[in-house]
Amino acid sequence: MPRPEIKMITFSIDGREVQAPENTMLVDAAKYGDVEIPVFCYEPKLGQPVGACRMCLVEIEGIPKLQTACSTPVKDGMVVHTQTQRVHEAQEAVVEFLLLNHPLDCPVCDKGGECPLQDISFGWGGGRSRFVEPKRHFQKPLELSPLIAIDRERCILCYRCVRYSQEVSEDYQLVLQERGAASYVATFDGHPYVAPFSGNIVELCPVGALTSKPYRFRARPWDIEGAGTVCTMCPGQCNVTLTVRDDRVLRVLARDHEEVDDGWLCDRGRFAYQSFHVDERITSPLVRVDGELRPVPWDHALDVAADALKRAGGAVGALAGGGTTNEEGFLLQRIAREALGSPHLDSQRAPVDRRSLLAIGDPGLQATVPDIEYAHAVLVLDTEPVDEMAILDLRIRKGVRRRRVRLAVASARPSALDGNAALSVRFAPGGGPAFAAELVAAARGEAASDDARAVVDLLRGAGEDVVIVASERVGAALAALADALGLRDRDGAGLIVVPSSANGRGLREVGVLPDAGPGLAPVARPGLHAAEMARAGAEGELTAFWLHGVDPLRDLPYRERWEQALDRATDVIAHAAFLTEGIREHATVVFPVEAYAEKDGTLTHPDGRLQRVRPGIGLQGRNRYGWQVLADLGRRLGLELRVLTAGMALAEVAAAVPFYAGLTQDEIGGRGIRWQEREAASAYPRPEGLPDLAAPTVREGAGLRLGTFRSIWASPEVEHSPALRFLVPRQRVEMAPADADRLGLGDGQRVVVSANGSRVEATVTLRHAVPAGSVFLQDGLVRDAANTLTGSVVEIRPAVTSEVAG
Amino acid sequence: MSNEVRRFSHGSRVPGWDDAVDLTKEPASVPDPATTPVPDELRAEIEAAMAKYPDRRSAALPALAAAQRHHGWCSPEAIEQVACVMRLTPAYLTAVATFYDMFDTQPVGRHRVYVCTNISCSLRGADELCERIEQAAAGDPDISVRHFECLGACDIAPMASVDGVYVGPIELDEVDELIDDIRNGRPPLPRKQLRLRPTADSLPLDGKDNG
Amino acid sequence: MEKLLFKDIDEPGLNTIDVYRRRGGYERLRKALAMPREAVLNELLASGLRGRGGAGFAMGKKVSFLPKGAMDVYLCCNADESEPGTFKDREIMQKNPHLLIEGIIIAAYAAGANKAFIYIRGEYVLQADILDAAIAEAYAAGFLGENILGSDHSLSLVVHRGAGAYICGEETALLDSLEGKRGNPRLKPPFPANQGLYQGPTLINNVETLSTVPFIIEMGGEEYAKLGVENSTGTKLVSISGHVKRPGNYEIELGMRSRDIIYGLAGGPPDGRKVKLWFPGGSSSPVLTGSDEDLDLPYDFDTMAKAGTMLGSGAIIVVDDSTSVVEVAYKTAYFYRHESCGKCTPCREGTNWTLKMLDRIRKGEATPMDLDIIASVCENIMGHCLCVLGDAMAMPVSSMVKKFRAEFEEEIERRRQEADLASAMPEPELPLIQGAVA
Repeated sequence: MPRPEIKMITFSIDGREVQAPENTMLVDAAKYGDVEIPVFCYEPKLGQPVGACRMCLVEIEGIPKLQTACSTPVKDGMVVHTQTQRVHEAQEAVVEFLLLNHPLDCPVCDKGGECPLQDISFGWGGGRSRFVEPKRHFQKPLELSPLIAIDRERCILCYRCVRYSQEVSEDYQLVLQERGAASYVATFDGHPYVAPFSGNIVELCPVGALTSKPYRFRARPWDIEGAGTVCTMCPGQCNVTLTVRDDRVLRVLARDHEEVDDGWLCDRGRFAYQSFHVDERITSPLVRVDGELRPVPWDHALDVAADALKRAGGAVGALAGGGTTNEEGFLLQRIAREALGSPHLDSQRAPVDRRSLLAIGDPGLQATVPDIEYAHAVLVLDTEPVDEMAILDLRIRKGVRRRRVRLAVASARPSALDGNAALSVRFAPGGGPAFAAELVAAARGEAASDDARAVVDLLRGAGEDVVIVASERVGAALAALADALGLRDRDGAGLIVVPSSANGRGLREVGVLPDAGPGLAPVARPGLHAAEMARAGAEGELTAFWLHGVDPLRDLPYRERWEQALDRATDVIAHAAFLTEGIREHATVVFPVEAYAEKDGTLTHPDGRLQRVRPGIGLQGRNRYGWQVLADLGRRLGLELRVLTAGMALAEVAAAVPFYAGLTQDEIGGRGIRWQEREAASAYPRPEGLPDLAAPTVREGAGLRLGTFRSIWASPEVEHSPALRFLVPRQRVEMAPADADRLGLGDGQRVVVSANGSRVEATVTLRHAVPAGSVFLQDGLVRDAANTLTGSVVEIRPAVTSEVAG
Repeated sequence: MSNEVRRFSHGSRVPGWDDAVDLTKEPASVPDPATTPVPDELRAEIEAAMAKYPDRRSAALPALAAAQRHHGWCSPEAIEQVACVMRLTPAYLTAVATFYDMFDTQPVGRHRVYVCTNISCSLRGADELCERIEQAAAGDPDISVRHFECLGACDIAPMASVDGVYVGPIELDEVDELIDDIRNGRPPLPRKQLRLRPTADSLPLDGKDNG
Repeated sequence: MEKLLFKDIDEPGLNTIDVYRRRGGYERLRKALAMPREAVLNELLASGLRGRGGAGFAMGKKVSFLPKGAMDVYLCCNADESEPGTFKDREIMQKNPHLLIEGIIIAAYAAGANKAFIYIRGEYVLQADILDAAIAEAYAAGFLGENILGSDHSLSLVVHRGAGAYICGEETALLDSLEGKRGNPRLKPPFPANQGLYQGPTLINNVETLSTVPFIIEMGGEEYAKLGVENSTGTKLVSISGHVKRPGNYEIELGMRSRDIIYGLAGGPPDGRKVKLWFPGGSSSPVLTGSDEDLDLPYDFDTMAKAGTMLGSGAIIVVDDSTSVVEVAYKTAYFYRHESCGKCTPCREGTNWTLKMLDRIRKGEATPMDLDIIASVCENIMGHCLCVLGDAMAMPVSSMVKKFRAEFEEEIERRRQEADLASAMPEPELPLIQGAVA
């Protein structure tokens, strides 16, 4: 879908000629002439203006009534006045109306000092009120959710929060009830407003009516500083501004970036900053002495780790994940390959071979995040955006709602986007690659299933610009599909491949792969991928593991095998922020990992945008920068890395990855840059053909097929943020009512799910939309996680009461 | 009249404003059909309403009306059932239900009596009539009397709508009879029902007072 | 004058299709369908028919604004008759539903609409039931549905019942309500003719307007335009209520002298009483007084506008000298405060504030200065709102304050004395800012 062309026009505002893009709303157009028009309800991110607050009334020549500047598109030759007597009187009147029942409790209000109502009352109000009646008073603050407090006295009914709930996050949980002067913001029957993106309403509120409970009364606007960086908790890599006071992060705000996050944040990104400042965080190196991890001086820890790695040499298996930066990943693979002589490196949850990665990462096939919004059609394939790359969920909804993008969803588990989709199809758990292969066949006009043909017909029928948002695990077929749909080299179309960790794309491009080095270059001797490492460890072939931001027991499949491997390993060197189970039980040396607020480095967004993570607070405790720790380790292992600053580390990366050539921190700047848009992109290796697409078909058989997913809330940061703890998921098994009936199970019942002798306990959750024959369990949990199960066909029976009670 | 609420008192004049959420509840998303039973009759009525419109959401008003008939009022349970069939959130429907005067989001009696107290009716004594009807029905949980804004029957002022049946002009001494009719399930004041009234324009201009 | 809308209105069974057809019903539809669409539109334009809902916009022009194209065009009949004092549409729908249906089919034909809705206020249970039955009859007789009377015109018609909200009579709020939302008015532009129901072009007309359409087809637009006066053509139903002897609906020719309506048709106020003030077009119109000058005004759109008020929905509410103007103003403000949707600030807060001030006058707690504030608040509401509901309170209330200022001041003084000045400022019963601090 072609993006609208922008035409500049000239209009007059307060007697001056100003150039502005045609059809922008007057409020925005006025800014081109440095004229500010006050607004409360207007917020372009919420969609069409509603003209409710009436604050922005202006005079336009030729129109008898005053007009709302928020809803009047500017036209060539328009003559606008914002400083006439009439306008002043109208604006004063609106401020007076808004303040009638506003409590003016600014001294005890959290918003005081950064409050649009304060500012506008001061700038445009009459400074007096003729209202002698008593104001209304209510109990306050009240809880709207565990995260948000509501103060209805202060509310000016601007509609922003409810519009957000209905038109952006589309959770439709927050609404206005009653009408007229009795209207108020509330939820259904006292249910809390809990949704993945609920925190955005705090930032939208132009008064102190909605406040963040974790932030309330922690700071005043005049004793805080803002520090811009990038959230590293998921591949979305939203741009944020940290509110810092006394070297502590007290709040996270969105730092509007249209190409990345569109100015929204998920609640994990917004509130998990609390985990930066909790006692459970590791802020000192630890070494296991007599079976216990004890804090030690840095040099000691580095010596112990270097010795251990040296001892194991080529039998080291190295994994990177979490918020590991490009620099850290690059240094890690260099040390492993060059100093240790070990080719065993990985950063992926499920193995995708180099040739496939090369094909799906090809610059000619990449879409950008805004393309989702302007595409004719979007296919969401084998991924659940809200869990895996949260911010895309809002972007896809925006595309469907505002630009009528046709959406197709193909997944095993019912998706949060099904309601927006023109077509949703289900395949068996684990069947993503197979279904993708069918889509390729359908797109090529070969024999394919009805579902696959329906999806391809929908995409083709919508138009040429198709964006495919897919999980990395789908692999090679994605490239074939994009080509078959004619998306190569098409602006506004292509792939967005969601990796399994926040910087998954960066890590594979800097060479944290078993079969590829920096720049996806082939390696002479490929190593083992993650799952093979577990086996090799369990069998004693690998004797040490080096874990950077990964806890295999938590983050990777085959938990049982990993347990054996870590147990048997002589040494486990971990870089971690929290002592999750695998680290706590098995690590011999633990290096603290900085929170992203302390980090200095770069990430690569799934659409190829390199972004800087910049320190907003100093290193906590005895922390050191990750690149520094790795450089120190390298030196001890005899590898001189020439890295003394984060910038030098980036220079090393840029020198090694041909298509990153010449990148500097300055060039990346505060908004990032997509490497595909730089000249060096031409150095991307030529694709070398695709492996056979005939993906393994899902085994059919008796029993229920198990699908797994990792909730947005299943992460150590959530567990360690007091405000978010209520969201920590507990295991539940989602199943179809028909299956539950057959097994005599009811909603809410405790059950044991077992496979091959392994078992987890869970609570039954009946979902109408789950296809019969499939069940779903969660990964990434502290206990009873799905990766405990060793098979993909499960049995479910009621938990014996004595097991629960006893 | 509601303006009798005491000033300065802490109590809210706006129901709901003082209510916090209950944090032990789960967030209210679209109810899952697997766990939300809906009476067949109600489901059929809602689905029939949805089929009438190009956009199913248009059926919100008729669906809520059906649920109110079925449950007596728009209870949370009723709203959840509508939400389940219409694939909307209960909050959305609550927002709609509380906007319109004819949806009761608090329990009410089986019989609804709306007494018009708007200008034309009040000029003809509606305020006193409303008070009298309220008194006469006081203590009867089956009859809910409320004053209502203009019901569009100023020609029979002062009037009331009894379960949708327009009756007027009601004299003060007819109030007991009216309440008695309602209690006993009889048509309310049949001789005063609007449906039997000729159009004023077709009556001879004989100077007779027909009000 | 020959009646059009009220011809045979009390004929028993007129609400059934048989009797209606025996009276010539649906013949005008046959005639219209035999004409090209443009010809039907031209008749509507020639008739000069102005909307009978309140705004008085030329109906034919409204139809001609609809864009031509492949999009679905909708017709909505506004039967949310809620303006206090108005009850004319109720009479048509109850007694002659097929006249409305026939008018809708013809108007839809002219507008190129294939889907029509009648948005009827939820309180009109009897009338909605009658319409439902009549529509079923019309479907059965082939006047609704596919290829009506063998023409290429198809139309579906659904009765949509509201649920008690005055604001849904505002055309864009009506559309939101019909879409299953809270009845909040929308920003204009875009106007419904371009983007209305389900974002499609939409024609919205009042019951009386649409019911007039068959007569225009029958008589021809030019002939119809001979009725009434210039710029206010045709006949009009007026609803007269309040302090008159014969309240009810009357069909008049526009331009009739107001006095003849109030005294002649409705019998005037009870014996011994004088007209103090009257609303010429529903409770949202600025009031006129009982002076000879006002009573002698011809009742038509332009004269009323010139007199600083409006014909509105044609609902005349008469108040005699037994009632205090304060009570009338209070009732008026109370209604609009109750019915304000709350979307825009001046209306939501302004109606609430005005009511509080009027309430203080009633309780003897006001001073004449409050009258200035009322006037100023009304001034601040007018022209600043999203829709006209705020103005609908501000106009009559400020007109009352202006025209009856002396009476207001007298009342303020009298009630202040009654209320005993000493108790005018009660002590707070509870601390004012309880709970205000976290």
